[in-house]
Amino acid sequence: MTIRVFDPTHERKPAGGEPAARPVSLKGKTVGFISNGKEGTKGYFAHLERLLRAELGVADIVWRTKSNYSAPADRAIIDEIKKWQAVVAGVGD
Amino acid sequence: MLKPNKPALASKAYDVDDFAAAQEFYHANGWTDGLPVVPPTAAAVEAALEWALMPPDQLLGIEPVRAQPIVAEKLAINAVMAGCLPMHFPIVAAAFQAMLRDEFLLHGVTSSTGGAAVLVVINGPVRREIGADATFNALANSDRATAAIGRALRLALINLLDVRPGGIDRTTLGHPGKFSYCLAEDEEDTRWQPLSVMRGIPEGASAVTVMAAMAPRQIMNEWTTEPREILETFAAEMRANQRHYSIYGGNYAIVIAKQLREPIERAGWSKRDIAEFIYERARVRRGEWAEVGKGSIVRDRADKVHTALASPDHLLVIAAGGPAGGFGAVIPPWMGSKTKAVTAAIGACVDCEPPKG
Repeated sequence: MTIRVFDPTHERKPAGGEPAARPVSLKGKTVGFISNGKEGTKGYFAHLERLLRAELGVADIVWRTKSNYSAPADRAIIDEIKKWQAVVAGVGD
Repeated sequence: MLKPNKPALASKAYDVDDFAAAQEFYHANGWTDGLPVVPPTAAAVEAALEWALMPPDQLLGIEPVRAQPIVAEKLAINAVMAGCLPMHFPIVAAAFQAMLRDEFLLHGVTSSTGGAAVLVVINGPVRREIGADATFNALANSDRATAAIGRALRLALINLLDVRPGGIDRTTLGHPGKFSYCLAEDEEDTRWQPLSVMRGIPEGASAVTVMAAMAPRQIMNEWTTEPREILETFAAEMRANQRHYSIYGGNYAIVIAKQLREPIERAGWSKRDIAEFIYERARVRRGEWAEVGKGSIVRDRADKVHTALASPDHLLVIAAGGPAGGFGAVIPPWMGSKTKAVTAAIGACVDCEPPKG
């Protein structure tokens, strides 16, 4: 005898918008770093900045830090993202 | 006799051959915690909803970070899968709603590498109705109700918020409480006020408290009946947690079993007295980090004092455990300053305005 059972999931696509168009090159572009504020991100982002500037010709790097490392980025940071051509975020410990 | 029309369940339905096929189907889809589940049939899900007097589409809340609505039907499906009886569902619903409160920071709690579980403490008359046992093995598989209720929350996190290991759940290690982490307070065998009353719920109302919690750290002191000495052991364990895990303050829970509880009660100490003592004693100097291999982040702040509790109110004192054994447990917070424990009444709106007219 068959049993009829139900889907326990939300049955929704994940919330969120479409990804932005990928830049073909970062030369002369502005890249934002959104740090979660943890200690290990400092050295990581400093190294990444050197690489992006020296090897990919990035013109400007903007550093921002979330006020709470376990929560989404603050509204002011989100609003600023549109001024950048690329963002590095989601970097953890 | 005609039965009133019940609103149909809206979830996608599947026909499976039998119980064993249902297990493989749910496991294959990543819808379980690795253990077998009770197949959520229409009858079982509807019974849970009826017990809580909730229509299937009742909105219980919205997870704020990912804007994910949580509706009663979906939560009930997960509760049935976890082994809940209909009478357990109002507790599951109240706990999940409490977890959705901003101050709980559910997304951070469930996605962090830190690996917290949701500790649930049940208070009030509902404990006896559901057969929750606050005595033997209180922090583990003490009874059917607490086992299933705690598990229901984890299954709901997996299925409703995608909190799967490697998905939203980025936990490094985790702990066994992530299967189920629920206990009742032993209100019958203590003179102390219930935890829920300490946290603002009226006496006699049933309530749940949720806390983002690490694994319990068991303490033992069978060699004194002096309250300060007993509580010093708890405070020392909290200091150890500050040194070895996180120095920052937050909600800690302590579970005090009967053998240690009795001398403290007999000496006239209330839960508030305990909290004030622990607040004073559970604190470390930042410089102590250098003794446990964390010297590099002490810097010039060696004399800065970090309290485990921001205030005495942040200690959750719980009376529970078997009758013998000089044991207790310290349950540390996930990341103290980021999340707050939340207490909510079950099936009642304590803050609601009375009906007008």
